[in-house]
Amino acid sequence: MEWFTDRAQESGIDFTHVNGATGKFYYPEILPPGVALFDFDNDGDLDVYLVQGHPLEPGTRPDPSLRGRLYRNDLEVRADGTRTLHFTDVTAQSGIEATAFGFGVATGDVDNDGFVDLYLTSFGGSQLYRNSGNGTFTDITKQSGTANEPGFGVSAAFLDYDRDGALDLYVGNNVRYRGLDKETVCPNPAGARDYCPPQIYGGFPDRLYHNDGKGHFTDVTAKALPGLRPRPALGVATADFDGDGWIDIYVADDGEDNMLWMNQRNGTFKESALAGGAAVTAEGKAEASMGVDAGDFDNDGDEDLIMTELTSQGFNLYVNDGGGRFRDQGAVSGLGPASTPFTGWGTAWFDYDNDGWLDTFSANGTIIMLEGHQNVPFPYDQHRLLFRNLGNGRFEDVTAKAGSLFAMSESGRGAAFGDIDNDGDIDVLVGNDAGRTRLLINNVGNRQHWVGLRVVGGAGGRDMLGARVGVTGADGKTRWRRARADGSYASANDPRVLVGLGASSGPVTVDVKWPDGTAERWNGVTADRWTTLRQGEGK
Amino acid sequence: MRRGSLVTASALALGLCMAACSQPGAPQAQPSAAQQTDTDTAAPLPDISKLVPSVQHQITEAHDWLVKTAAKPDATAIDRANAHGELGKLLMAAQLPDAATTEMNAAQALNPSDYRWPYYLAHLARSGGDLPKAADAFQRVLQLKPDDMDSLVWLGDVSLASGKVDVAEDAFAHALRLDPNSVSAKYGAGRTALAKGEHAKAVEYLEEVLRLNPKATAAHYPLSQAYGALGDTTKSAEHLRLRRDARIAPRDTLMVELDSLLQSPQTYESLGIRRLDEEDWEGAAEQFRKGLALAPDSPALHHRLATALSMMQDEKGAVAEFETAVRLSPEYFPSQFSLGVLAQSKGQHAEAIQRFQAALKARPTYTEARLRLASSLRRAGKLEAALAEYDTALASAPDNTEARMGKVMVLSKAHRDREARRVLDEALQSSPGDLVTMHALARLLATSPDGTVRDGAKAMDLVQQMLKRGRTLELGETYAMTLAELGQYREAQALQRDLTAAAERAGQAAMKARLIARQKLYDRADPCRTPWTDEEMP
Repeated sequence: MEWFTDRAQESGIDFTHVNGATGKFYYPEILPPGVALFDFDNDGDLDVYLVQGHPLEPGTRPDPSLRGRLYRNDLEVRADGTRTLHFTDVTAQSGIEATAFGFGVATGDVDNDGFVDLYLTSFGGSQLYRNSGNGTFTDITKQSGTANEPGFGVSAAFLDYDRDGALDLYVGNNVRYRGLDKETVCPNPAGARDYCPPQIYGGFPDRLYHNDGKGHFTDVTAKALPGLRPRPALGVATADFDGDGWIDIYVADDGEDNMLWMNQRNGTFKESALAGGAAVTAEGKAEASMGVDAGDFDNDGDEDLIMTELTSQGFNLYVNDGGGRFRDQGAVSGLGPASTPFTGWGTAWFDYDNDGWLDTFSANGTIIMLEGHQNVPFPYDQHRLLFRNLGNGRFEDVTAKAGSLFAMSESGRGAAFGDIDNDGDIDVLVGNDAGRTRLLINNVGNRQHWVGLRVVGGAGGRDMLGARVGVTGADGKTRWRRARADGSYASANDPRVLVGLGASSGPVTVDVKWPDGTAERWNGVTADRWTTLRQGEGK
Repeated sequence: MRRGSLVTASALALGLCMAACSQPGAPQAQPSAAQQTDTDTAAPLPDISKLVPSVQHQITEAHDWLVKTAAKPDATAIDRANAHGELGKLLMAAQLPDAATTEMNAAQALNPSDYRWPYYLAHLARSGGDLPKAADAFQRVLQLKPDDMDSLVWLGDVSLASGKVDVAEDAFAHALRLDPNSVSAKYGAGRTALAKGEHAKAVEYLEEVLRLNPKATAAHYPLSQAYGALGDTTKSAEHLRLRRDARIAPRDTLMVELDSLLQSPQTYESLGIRRLDEEDWEGAAEQFRKGLALAPDSPALHHRLATALSMMQDEKGAVAEFETAVRLSPEYFPSQFSLGVLAQSKGQHAEAIQRFQAALKARPTYTEARLRLASSLRRAGKLEAALAEYDTALASAPDNTEARMGKVMVLSKAHRDREARRVLDEALQSSPGDLVTMHALARLLATSPDGTVRDGAKAMDLVQQMLKRGRTLELGETYAMTLAELGQYREAQALQRDLTAAAERAGQAAMKARLIARQKLYDRADPCRTPWTDEEMP
């Protein structure tokens, strides 16, 4: 059996992304789409949101069917454990009118009502949709103050940076691209045109919005992010990098120094990437970082970083010393050299085989037209990569073993990670630029034991993004993971935590460090099932 | 030719990379699976229809030559290898790596003793991200030419990127035995030592890199890391501050040759830029003219030519070319900026303002244009408008020292010294010890016409702190101002005389004149009440 099987089409996700490319090389065409996994109807399974584009050429009549789409997961799990995955396109009745040329998506419950809301980044502005809890969404962009105008948001992340119990919003803006730029052209030395790099347009400053908890956000960028420089942001991941209990922000920038905003615990952040060894490679070069994720790949209790990069650069692995100082171990880990032929986008730390060590995946696709791909409509395709964590700081490239889906060449962009069929292993939803959406169902992870945890809190019982979850198994070792929807590229992940236990089937002890600084413990949590942990109900 | 007196090439060319350079380190297309090498026939050409006609013609000619050579009964294997290789070089330069690889493989098969073919194959693999294949090909070069410095350094480089530090170490060591002063080999050896955790050794190599070539600024970052690991936080911070991205690479004559192979506007533009960097203005103009012969409507080439002409003192020609660029594309902000710079240098501030505003309309993030706009606005007496521009620049980059100092000076000129002091106090709070801010604050405290701002004692304290860190004529001038403010006119006079003599020795006529003017104040036992003259302002 192949490790992963694409079940998008057969389960009802019949979606092809349209970027409208006609050879004019409009910069926005090269960036999308993001994808999201989130349980909008609180029925216990992950639904899907897919970002859509459309032709950008002025005068082109818009096709009304080209819009971001919401698919409800109607997963059926029978008593014998067998299950049927089926999705229903509920866009029409959802109230979501995402007709702009979309880039990405972020998810979080901004009003603490227990229903997850949706933030969409697009060419020309962003939209915040409030989940009404009855299957419909309301556009609250204007009253919430989150339009991000002017701006060019691609990835965004919800986080509670000031511990006031309300999710704030970080928007990574990419370039200062005004109107539809027809003038700027970027030929190679032989005169062949292609997409321009972001430096041609110049970066655009990111934005941080503070949520007052009542549905209104305030742009606090100037005060909270002192010294912010306009850089072409593509990926955003939030985590507590220095272990002080306050959430920090990491931003992957395209071709310029990445940023690490360390939370100063007073409503402001300090940019510390360069001093902390996380801005550039070991050689000191700023690379074209696209996707990013934070996770404890070496199980030493702190959050490490992976970044996907351009062809010839190789992915970066920034290993945390526990205090928010990093060392680039991309080369020695094996991730760098194995990924140099690829341009990576969506990525994550995820334990695909449930052996207790975080592995990684990347959706790939070039930004320079590939020679000899004349028959491909959008000739920027590459195959996906899968790396297995060997538990010794090194990774094995297992792409060739993972099955035919990993030999398939597409223009991969966003990727969202989560247990879509609730069977105890992590599946992957992949968005392809000008291509079909793929739903990679994991066939091998649940051969080993696991524990699945949803950590919720607040009045509405929302997912507590940023909560750190430590799972201690029979071997006495604690594996720390984080409830998060952010990371990857322009996409939103399953906020639940799934920890692989390997051969150990016994109950586990779970420690949760909540975003407000409190901590609780649950003993005897059963393995091989999903459990919800509510703040205030532990010890 | 000496640096032009009109304006500097760097000022004229500023922002060009924002407009028209290709992305540094931009990826090449992914190499396809290994292709079969056919040495007897010419492989069909790839699709070259998207290339400019002149390059299509070059490639077609080379392909025709290959076909003819292959058909010649008396053609030697070397002849045929060369025909494949020459076509391969063109394809490689045209960024068609798969087709280039096919030709280079054929050339290598026909003439295995020619080191050039594996060398090109190595670079094709390297730029496509296939590091093992690149390393193998560099090893093949070294079998043919064991002392090839370029291949040794590149082998070390790809081995380091592959995590094979021992192979890298051997390659760099071999290179250093051949040329102990090779900057690129020392840089590689330093990075290898760092990767191995041999921090003292890394420091040794990387300090040597900077001693041999102070412009090798890429060495500062790994050096910072090495000092940090050794616990020397001061040196670590200092090298981090100096870190830049200047590439340190071997001489690479074969690859350099490729850069000039294509007859395309883009190639001529690149070659011209290289000449500009070498301050070979005539050579640069020649390349840009060749490019314009192929692409007469290219605003970028007109702009580049104008820059070269300007450096050749041909102001009329330069203006004509800048104006052509703007006529061809009114949104072409680099030429708008350059025309602004030229107008500003002649004191034509109304025109300069118009040009800078046009540049900013097209590129609002163009900080250099905004700072120059602010300067022209100030000189035109539009102080509020100048302040607004500095504020805009500071909003996007709050630590922009030039913008902050510009704002302080304009505030002072507008008799708003209290606000100026507040700006400096705040800046010093966020960056204690910043010399530029300390100096400006000392100057303001010593000379402000506003008695509520002046604080001679504090100014003296700041001056004393700065004198411990270094001495400049400007700091001496502020010291004299402070002495005068404290009523120590005799000391101020003596210091001012020494400074004037030093300015004369240094050939700084403007400064000398300014010092003499202020000397007269001290001779009359008057303090200075002008923090900055117009000439001292940006």
